[in-house]
Amino acid sequence: MNYPVWELPMGGGVLIAVVSILHVFVSHFAIGGGLWLVVTEMRANRNRDLDLRAFVKRHSRFFLLLTLVFGAISGVGIWTTIGLVSPHGTSALIHGYVWGWAMEWVFFFIEIAAAIVYYYGWDKLNTNVHEAIGWIYFGAAFISLVIINGIITFMLTPGGWLENQNFWTGFFNPTYRPSLVIRTFAGTAIAGMFTLLTAANLARGNFRGRVTRWNAGWAFFSMLGVIGGAFWYKSAIGVWDANEALLGAIPVLPVVAGYFKIGLIITTALAVIPLLVPKLWNKGLVAVLLIVGLMTMGAGEWLREAGRKPFVINGYMYSTGMLVSDTARVEDAGMAASARWISPEAATSEVRLGHDLYLAYCQVCHTMDGYNGLRPFLAQWDEETVASLVPLTGHMRALMPPWYGTEEENAALTAYLMTEKPPEPGLWPADPVAAEQLAWDISCGLCHTVSGFRPLIDSFAGQSPEEIDGFLDESGDIVDEMPAYFGTAEQRAALVRFLHKMNPPEGAGDQAAARPGGNEGRDS
Amino acid sequence: MMPAVIVPAPDALPLPAPVFLLQILLHLTFLLHLVAMNAMLGGLILTFYARLKGGDPSAPWTKLADTLSKVTPSLVAATVTLGVAPLLFLQTIYGQFFFTSSILMGWGWFSVVVVLIFAYYGTYLQSFKGRALGGSRTPLLGVTLLLFLWIGFMFSNNTSLMLNVKEWAAMYFASPKGLHLNLGDAQLAPRYMHMVLGSVAVAGLMLAWWGRARVRAADPSGEFMVTVGMNAFTWLTLVNILIGLWYYVAQPAHVRKLFMGGDITATALFGVGFVLGIVMVVAGFRGSKHGSRIELWPLTMLTLIQLVTMIMMRDTVRNGTLGADFRPATFEVQPQVLNLVIFAVMLVGGLVLLFWMLRQFYVAWNR
Repeated sequence: MNYPVWELPMGGGVLIAVVSILHVFVSHFAIGGGLWLVVTEMRANRNRDLDLRAFVKRHSRFFLLLTLVFGAISGVGIWTTIGLVSPHGTSALIHGYVWGWAMEWVFFFIEIAAAIVYYYGWDKLNTNVHEAIGWIYFGAAFISLVIINGIITFMLTPGGWLENQNFWTGFFNPTYRPSLVIRTFAGTAIAGMFTLLTAANLARGNFRGRVTRWNAGWAFFSMLGVIGGAFWYKSAIGVWDANEALLGAIPVLPVVAGYFKIGLIITTALAVIPLLVPKLWNKGLVAVLLIVGLMTMGAGEWLREAGRKPFVINGYMYSTGMLVSDTARVEDAGMAASARWISPEAATSEVRLGHDLYLAYCQVCHTMDGYNGLRPFLAQWDEETVASLVPLTGHMRALMPPWYGTEEENAALTAYLMTEKPPEPGLWPADPVAAEQLAWDISCGLCHTVSGFRPLIDSFAGQSPEEIDGFLDESGDIVDEMPAYFGTAEQRAALVRFLHKMNPPEGAGDQAAARPGGNEGRDS
Repeated sequence: MMPAVIVPAPDALPLPAPVFLLQILLHLTFLLHLVAMNAMLGGLILTFYARLKGGDPSAPWTKLADTLSKVTPSLVAATVTLGVAPLLFLQTIYGQFFFTSSILMGWGWFSVVVVLIFAYYGTYLQSFKGRALGGSRTPLLGVTLLLFLWIGFMFSNNTSLMLNVKEWAAMYFASPKGLHLNLGDAQLAPRYMHMVLGSVAVAGLMLAWWGRARVRAADPSGEFMVTVGMNAFTWLTLVNILIGLWYYVAQPAHVRKLFMGGDITATALFGVGFVLGIVMVVAGFRGSKHGSRIELWPLTMLTLIQLVTMIMMRDTVRNGTLGADFRPATFEVQPQVLNLVIFAVMLVGGLVLLFWMLRQFYVAWNR
């Protein structure tokens, strides 16, 4: 609204996700790996274990190259990317937390300097000093997590900050402590995974077995810590009312939550192998472990990010940059008047106005063909349908920010969206099951799920296809937010079949169970 | 139809410190970043030059390039780390402008991150692999240098586009794809060249310090480092005076006027900068005659004062160009005194720790 919007073909969210998931994995390694380095070095020094000491030294070069270059720069990269995609959110985080970022910067600085001195100081600094530098490194890295964790968790659960806008109230928010636990253990777990990688490159033998077991211990026991932290986090979250988000109010969330749980289990299970049978461990398994670990971490971060919808800062600022405190004014003034970057051409061109509104209010989360793509929907809808749905976006289950378009603005957005509709009529799937699913996705599924959020599973129990079909005629008269059914005859027939199968007669094949929650997994 | 001038509103949250304090922190941390960046980029350019002059492994130019290549990665680390703080304070004070220009040049600005990762690894490649790279060593160094020059060019684009407010709306309405740069702005070229050439001059001075320390430690290779360093310092400062004048001429009329009597401080800064430049060149030429017995402290103090002068002139250009679009007096301020104190204490403690670590390192390396 306040800032121009960068039109990205793949969507800003995807760009942020790519940069941040890679960064987060490496940056947690930078913390846990720092602890691993110094603890393992001390162990080697105490036991006069020269092999182990050489292993630590060897690993420290890999550590330096990965964390100092990729880790540090991709961290600056997240900041750059969120500034491009969500400038209003970034600006708010900076304004509220300048001193937090400044404090973090001090420790970032110490961390980088210590890493360099530690690496170049091998065999030059005396042992005590070298170990001390290792501890300084880890301390600085950990404190930078302690600080950043406050700001990241603040975005999802600002808690009392919404009332007093106090730095520390927002900082020590309801998810601060469980998140710190998860991230700390994630760091040491990833340290174990990467050191298992270094170990997998050693020649086979006693030493390799010994060091593999040591590293696996880091990975496995830390994963138990992560799981414990995750349970605590879930109980502390308190922002997803009655877990609606996890039930499908945010369509992607239940599936990502599933991935996260499965990922935690697989990662932990994989880490047991080298702990119990180091001989079985090899490069292939370490690659699997690292990839699963990365994906699990990605799912965890995704959950946190998606769980915030439709806000950048929960309860304070919508993802479009609109402030919650500002909604009444926007509702009065209209969407175009509240957005700064509406071109002069929009005064005379309805489509241009619609385009500029789309950029200002939709583009931040949607693309046409990629992430949260709209064209697949537009392909199946006619203009009347789009016009009837535009004012209802705030009610849809994807938890979109409110839309207060005037009649003129609704018409303009509709006109623009129709220019993006593919010229050919949308292909209707030949496969009956796919057709039924699509018929649901483009109608009832916009606001309902089968058995999760706003479930329909019981609504049609015992009804015949004819009865369901009759209901569709009356659907517009039930509540204000529900439009009359708008599909074509083909879509309608498929939808009736979907709704009928949703609640099958006893003894029949359980279709609904085969797709619990319907299409919750679809991004929207 | 001529699009209007659009400037985003300042952030709704109050600033956690008075603007002047944030400005001081911006300038102070930018000075540190500038010194590190100069050492890194200027050093890299000198390294590349030395590599081209090259010769066999025992040739002085080759040895110089080898020496410099060893320290570049750590200088990149210093540049990046010291760059984070001024970028933070810039976004705090000038977010309305900086975020907007960044979005207009979205891909260019984003490219900085990706390019930097490759460039950074490029310096490690030179440092760790070195001679093992064989014939591809110099070309690879050239690519690495080009990547860093690209990053600098993007910074110059962004820091000048953020001032080019009147062009924004037309750019954005023409295309929101983030493919704009500020190439149409007359001050872009001199601004960028001034920075790049200045970096080589400052790196030259540092090289002279390093060379002199070597000579004093009875290492004769230092003599050559002093000569190369002082040549770079003196000649490039001379050229940079001319580029600086070009930079001045390329300013919009109302900004030029500030430096020509319109504003006393601006005029004084311009005068000081110009005179200092000439003094630096003269002192550089005279000092160079003494070889490694050169007195470097006076030159260094002159250079530091010059850097501060340049930073303040740059600030004058920024605020002068933005004019009425930037009104810090209207920003709401709610100082977070406790947090500021915590930050200050951490900073002092951090510096102590930093010096302790560097001292340990220095002592160990010289053993």
